[in-house]
Amino acid sequence: MELNIDLNAFLANISLLSLIAIIGISLYGILARPNIIKKIIALTIFTDAANLLAILVGFRAPPSQPPVLLTIKPSPEELQSFSQVAVDPLPQALVLTAVVIGMAVNLLIIFIALQVYRLYGTLDVRRIRRLKG
Amino acid sequence: MRKELIVATSLTVTIIVLAYVITLGSGLGPLFNGIRPLAEVYLRTTLNPSQPSFTAMSPEGVTAIVWDYRGLDTLFETAVFYLAIIGAIAIYRGVSEKVRLNGAGVGLSMIVKVVTKVLIPINIAIATSIALHGHLTPGGGFQAGAAMAVIPMILIIAFSRYLLLDLKISKEVALAFRSIGLAGIALTAFVPILIGLLSGVNAYIMQNQLKADASFSLPAYLGDALVSGSLILYNISEYLAVTFGFSMIFLLLSIEEDIVKEQMRGDGVEH
Repeated sequence: MELNIDLNAFLANISLLSLIAIIGISLYGILARPNIIKKIIALTIFTDAANLLAILVGFRAPPSQPPVLLTIKPSPEELQSFSQVAVDPLPQALVLTAVVIGMAVNLLIIFIALQVYRLYGTLDVRRIRRLKG
Repeated sequence: MRKELIVATSLTVTIIVLAYVITLGSGLGPLFNGIRPLAEVYLRTTLNPSQPSFTAMSPEGVTAIVWDYRGLDTLFETAVFYLAIIGAIAIYRGVSEKVRLNGAGVGLSMIVKVVTKVLIPINIAIATSIALHGHLTPGGGFQAGAAMAVIPMILIIAFSRYLLLDLKISKEVALAFRSIGLAGIALTAFVPILIGLLSGVNAYIMQNQLKADASFSLPAYLGDALVSGSLILYNISEYLAVTFGFSMIFLLLSIEEDIVKEQMRGDGVEH
């Protein structure tokens, strides 16, 4: 059997569908696992998948290049060809801050989980719910 | 175990078959076929001296967006970062410790310690270079800070936190440096207005290069070097803020559990 399909499109579709599947799995992890640490791990996977999806939205089919000019004195022709091949810089800029802010927020959540464990002696949300505190 | 294997295999097969069917049907469709007009504007003006009122004077499109075109976004992102770290400190309020031993004789083995000592100067050089070249090459204050925050982490793991305390890098010192970084960001944002008020020129908050109705402009070149006006200042300030914000968190996170529990019990509060 001969596969006469566009290989680039096939791989791009696989990565898109995989990202959607990863988002689904991580949502399952956040909602269904009772352990807070496992919820946090699923949450970080969810964040990373969402960030990757945002980057992918700004991608453009080859030939493409990063949104960085290689010269500091560009001519109008260079700028014209640059804007024809460079990928969208806006999602990258948004993801750039989101990654570092996400790390700080994750640390805050981990601190809260640590404090919950110190106070209640468990990380199981079903048991924490029953405790009076 | 068997159940998980079946689930994983069927998911993989579903994705591949679905991708194959979609590709047969429509290929990629309109996806990845060019970029939005807004992105094209950013790309055309990021370093374009012939359009002085639109350019950010930085060859790096991402940094130009982060600190110039959408600078206020980043300013408030930094506020979120600030609040997350303040929240973590608030959870640890009142936990204090007396240094009981110095850094000698604790930590991991000799090999790990020597390798760590070799790695640290390299790490500092790379992080500083990412921060200082943030307006020229991919990188910037956020990434440089995240790269630099690795150092307190590996120091704590290889040598124990008492080494950092011996080096006088305590929570309070980290807080002071982080505040200097945040103050640098605020100062860079307000400098255009201050200079504008003093010299009677029209200027906006967070302004970098001149705009149509505001002729104020920070210098894009320092001598021959391209510094992109406010971008390098923001990157250095954010570098400081992120580095010491994370250092502070790691210092708090590595306080011995016994000490924290003892102090919590000392409150006399029943939980």
